[in-house]
Amino acid sequence: MAAGGERIPGTPRYRHHHLKNPGTEPFIPNFLLKEWIAGSVFLLAFMLWVVFNPVDLGSKANPDDTSFIPVPDWYFLFLYQLLKYFPGDNELFGTILVPMVGALLLLFAPWLDTKKTRHPYKRPLATAGMVLTTFLVIWLTNEAAVQHAAEVAAASGQASPGLPVIPKIEASQIHLVDTSDPGYQLFQNTCANCHGHSGEGGAGPPIYAIGKYWDAKKLYDFIENPVGGMPKKGTLSSDDDVKKVADWLAKQKG
Amino acid sequence: MLKKAYDWIDERLNVTPLWRDVADHEVPAHVNPAIKMSAFVYCFGGLTFLVITTQILSGMFLAMYYTPDITNAWYSVRYITDEVLLGNVVRGMHFWGASLVIIMMFLHMLRVFFTGAYKKPREMNWVVGVLIFFVVLGFGFTGYLLPWDQKAYWATAVGAQLAGSIPWIGPYIQTLLLGSHTVGALTLTRFFAIHVFFLPAALLVLLALHFIMIRAQHIAGPL
Repeated sequence: MAAGGERIPGTPRYRHHHLKNPGTEPFIPNFLLKEWIAGSVFLLAFMLWVVFNPVDLGSKANPDDTSFIPVPDWYFLFLYQLLKYFPGDNELFGTILVPMVGALLLLFAPWLDTKKTRHPYKRPLATAGMVLTTFLVIWLTNEAAVQHAAEVAAASGQASPGLPVIPKIEASQIHLVDTSDPGYQLFQNTCANCHGHSGEGGAGPPIYAIGKYWDAKKLYDFIENPVGGMPKKGTLSSDDDVKKVADWLAKQKG
Repeated sequence: MLKKAYDWIDERLNVTPLWRDVADHEVPAHVNPAIKMSAFVYCFGGLTFLVITTQILSGMFLAMYYTPDITNAWYSVRYITDEVLLGNVVRGMHFWGASLVIIMMFLHMLRVFFTGAYKKPREMNWVVGVLIFFVVLGFGFTGYLLPWDQKAYWATAVGAQLAGSIPWIGPYIQTLLLGSHTVGALTLTRFFAIHVFFLPAALLVLLALHFIMIRAQHIAGPL
């Protein structure tokens, strides 16, 4: 039997007025082709994002380096933030009770909102509940991100009276990012003589994760007028080169 | 030629009704953005599935190079990032795709919730959808450890510590997760196995149920 036996060869695949329900269309090929267009645009945007936002790899996990400020991936931040509001004896609420109640409410929503009506305006309790929850989750996520950024900044502040201390690890466990940057070439030709080609340290201290503690401006100021045994400008020839190296070093966050 | 081959198979297996059923299935106008632009909200579920498909594909290619042991995991990820042809793109797809699945799934869930599409007779499909949500969060939690860098290690350490603080059962959950009392060699192999075998199996079963139920119950009508 030929495919689609009911269709006379050469006729259009369907016509609106032939259908039981005008306005509907068959899934294949009519709807799927349009859906693929939407999907292609979506994928293209996604691939552009991926190509222009390369993913970093930090330095190798080091269980001894307790100075690292841990943070979960962004989609767990709201749960992480929630914990902070239930300190001490109330910890139970943050770790298990509130998340558990939330998960159960979500799972059993169809049995909590049993009215027949579906329009969001006609079931204000359910709609308001979900809107509030959504805003709360977004707010908690943002709050956690802001607080983490502040913690990292504070940690670098503690380090500023002296110099940040970056644990010594093997050069092979360091991953420098953005090695196509001009600053990287300058680093290799000058700074690396004392700090090592991966910033693992040598005559100078390890600086492979200096970007975690100091931003580009602070690095620039330091290289221009270093303390300790470091030569002025780190033997770089111009302020412009110092800026390039500082910009690149600021990206090395370990 | 192609038609002959098709007919040969069709004569023996009668496949026409199978795909014809899917192909001729009528898509209602109120979910079709080509008819009404605002219906784009009905695309979120399909787009979630699209991203999940790219996650499965990019994950399969990453698994060709990734080594799940604590001495080599980090080096293998660095090799993927710096040496393998297009390795950083495939890793980027998998990394960003993970966030995109969460975002699209969340939007899809909001659409279903606000259009009240989970009401009778579709309660079970909502429950399956929420379970898919949990499974995807599991993917995120286990996948985050695999590059074995500082960020990964300490995030998992904190996650396990939180699980351990749950009264009574906490320590057992922690041991189950870590395979030990601390994040280490057993944790990495465990998370890898969960990430590439256990969770995909669960996800595929749940997705199949999700789609079969959509077909059986149809898309909810217009508001």
